[in-house]
Amino acid sequence: MHEFSIVSSLLEQVLEIAKSNNALKVNEVEIEAGVIRQIVPEIMTTAWESIIVDTIADGSVLKITVVPAIAKCRICENQFEPEIDNYLCQKCLKADVDIISGNDIMLKSIDCQTLNEQEEQDED
Amino acid sequence: MKIKVIKHILAANDEIASLNRKKLADADVLGLNLISSPGSGKTTLLEKTIPALLPERSSVIVGDLQTGRDAERVAKMAVESIQINTGLSCHLYANQIQSALDDIDLAQTDYMFIENVGNMVCPGEFDLGENVKVILYSLPEGDDKVAKYPTIFSVADIILLTKCDLKPVLDFSMQRVKEDLAKLNTRAPLIEFSSKTKEGFDEWLDWLRKEKREHVGRQVGFVKE
Ligand SMILES: Nc1nc2c(ncn2[C@@H]2O[C@H](COP(=O)(O)OP(=O)(O)O)[C@@H](O)[C@H]2O)c(=O)[nH]1
Ligand SMILES: [Mg+2]
Ligand SMILES: [Zn+2]
Repeated sequence: MHEFSIVSSLLEQVLEIAKSNNALKVNEVEIEAGVIRQIVPEIMTTAWESIIVDTIADGSVLKITVVPAIAKCRICENQFEPEIDNYLCQKCLKADVDIISGNDIMLKSIDCQTLNEQEEQDED
Repeated sequence: MKIKVIKHILAANDEIASLNRKKLADADVLGLNLISSPGSGKTTLLEKTIPALLPERSSVIVGDLQTGRDAERVAKMAVESIQINTGLSCHLYANQIQSALDDIDLAQTDYMFIENVGNMVCPGEFDLGENVKVILYSLPEGDDKVAKYPTIFSVADIILLTKCDLKPVLDFSMQRVKEDLAKLNTRAPLIEFSSKTKEGFDEWLDWLRKEKREHVGRQVGFVKE
């Protein structure tokens, strides 16, 4: 269910950026989600489709890329790629890590149509 | 036109969480985020813990989908107890804590307990500004939950195995839990606990006092480098 809170924050940011770029319409939104976040892409896209209705992002495609995590052992500082159910450091055999990347959900890009672009198209 | 942006989607929440953490630290208050399934014993734990910590004093923020019952249960013993009804949301947000903190006398508070909405997934993902995450896991839930909810157990600072008084009537393999935790989290102490018999209670209080001395202001869980 947290997919819904994530897409609402996402939509807020997308609309703000679109507005400051004088966009008329948003076509595509690209995000990157760390594997640790356990995002279910299908739920996320369904949530997205349901909240974009009646906004300039209506009909836009949400592209989700899942990226791996990197853990750093707090004991020996060894860095490694953990599994979602295994954070064991192979050097000291302890599971005591900080996740230093792959935990974020990032907005990467927005593809949108601006007024200028539309005018150029109309001229064609 | 493609606009490149690099923005944390949850940045707004994380920024407010940092403000909360600073506010708590400035008042020398330890922030604790209590996370578990519904009914694992969070409110009962608070009812027993708050009086036992005196003369150190506690305030409570409770997130619940509906009702103000949990806040009422602890109202008499806490400096302040505030209920946040989250409606349909399955977790608390940092901005809800921010506005609740405005109504709490932090100068009179040593421990700020935040009872999150009963849920083993979503609350773990939203930083509230706490310094430690306390995970409660009750025996009747069965011994496979560490394996089923690895993320929440991996970020725990302490795990209270609650309702241990029910051990004799349940087939619960402590061994299985320990084995699952061995590859997820060897940092968090695992305390066999019962609010009924007070098993593990002294160990829990010692841990709280130690965290209060050492970890006010600390950021938990996921670290950015
Ligand atoms: N047997 C037993 N029952 C408990 C214990 N702690 C809590 N309970 C019971 O579990 C139920 C749910 O407890 P509550 O504290 O409301 O759980 P919460 O939803 O996590 O806040 C209540 O009926 C409690 O009396 C315990 O240590 N042993
Ligand atoms: Mg409760
Ligand atoms: Zn190591």
